[in-house]
Amino acid sequence: MENYPFSENSINSSIAFRSLVNATSYPGRTFQINKLNKPSVLSNAAATILITLCDNESNVYLSKEYNTDEVRNWLIFNTGAIISNKKNADFVIGTWKSLLPLNDFKIGVPEYPERSATLIIEETKYKKVKCNIDGPGIKNKLNIDLPNPELFIENNNLYPLGLDFYFTNDLEILSIPRSTKINIIKSEL
Amino acid sequence: MNEMSKNENLDIQIYNFAYLDENTKRMIRRALLKALCIPGYQVPFSSREMPMPYGWGTGGIQVTSACLIPKDVLKVIDQGADDTTNAVSIRKFFQKTANVAVTEKTSDASLIQTRHRIPETKLKEKQILVYQVPIPEPLRFLEPREVETRKMHALSEYGLMYVKLYEDIAKHGHIETAYAYPVKTNGNYVTDPSPIPKFDNPKMNNSPAIQLFGAGREQRIYAIPPYTNVKSLDFEDYPFEAMKANFKCSICGSSDSYLDEIIVSDDGKRSYICSDTDYCKEQTKLNSKKED
Repeated sequence: MENYPFSENSINSSIAFRSLVNATSYPGRTFQINKLNKPSVLSNAAATILITLCDNESNVYLSKEYNTDEVRNWLIFNTGAIISNKKNADFVIGTWKSLLPLNDFKIGVPEYPERSATLIIEETKYKKVKCNIDGPGIKNKLNIDLPNPELFIENNNLYPLGLDFYFTNDLEILSIPRSTKINIIKSEL
Repeated sequence: MNEMSKNENLDIQIYNFAYLDENTKRMIRRALLKALCIPGYQVPFSSREMPMPYGWGTGGIQVTSACLIPKDVLKVIDQGADDTTNAVSIRKFFQKTANVAVTEKTSDASLIQTRHRIPETKLKEKQILVYQVPIPEPLRFLEPREVETRKMHALSEYGLMYVKLYEDIAKHGHIETAYAYPVKTNGNYVTDPSPIPKFDNPKMNNSPAIQLFGAGREQRIYAIPPYTNVKSLDFEDYPFEAMKANFKCSICGSSDSYLDEIIVSDDGKRSYICSDTDYCKEQTKLNSKKED
């Protein structure tokens, strides 16, 4: 039993999902995720998203750092997910740099905007730009650091189509859905 | 495990936590998250048969089941009341299958499932309000074809809805729609708020709580995230008006809560009482404190 991702599948996944609901509902705010049994290369938060949401209908794209035997075997054994290419992926996992350009991921179609990819961005070692975010779920404008904010602005311009992002770091998760508006804070020169 | 504890847990153990199996929950959970990312858009989901008839909240109950955690404190209301058949049976259902705590107090609840009302007490951050929805498509009575309504949403083509509201004004001098009054969510999708009285519509706007909608028979899930702009459709010269019966509650005396009309005698004498039973109780308590 101790090798399963969750010690109590039904209970642990419900608690994990509540964190995901909160993170998605309140973009730009950090929420906590609990530890689970997972491959060493994945963060607890990223592994939790995959285990909680993926099943044999989910196409998952793993960027090259994550496309290892360990991750693939763990994911397929525990969820039945399909390892896919960028174009068909429902869930995408990788570091920011390895996932660029974002153009290959599906953004949904006007009649079915939900048929779009969810990107899980691991690590925080990217060049950060100070931004100001606003939109659904955000009470007062929030300041956060984002990589290549112009890409998030482009993504928001596609609304109601677009990609939905989760930033994961160890036990923390933060979401930037397509509905979030981004303003770059111009640094004083 | 001895024989006693086995029996004690029997009720809970014959079901997965909160009734639905994990695969179904995963499917619903994916739909819920996408729904939160696209406020007001109806995400199709493969709704399950539930142990209750359609029209009794099979959509709401599936959403609640996918969201519940053991720590939750659940409140269930039907037309504002905690003690009506629908509310009582859904509350019991989750007590039995998820073993969660229950409450009638709005402020104590972490998850509230509702049929046709939004509580009068202001909701807080991270509270989840699950609506039971009969017809999720606000355009359905104007355009019966799903292919067409889908296209209309995709193109933000809502002229038909405005014509309907205009015809109301032309015929009756005001907009007749008194419940399930259509709203525009995040400036984009026209959304059905479920058959809540239009008195409740303003409560949806910029609410700190998370609003989730489940339509079981129609197989749709949609959501309004917190702090989202929700505007009731109207015209510049005929602005939206939230209205209620112009009386006071005959139990608590409140004049600002939504009232139910009841006939109290054979000759048709009427009385008005709060539809929100928890709010009414709270007000009665406050009143008796003031008198002391």
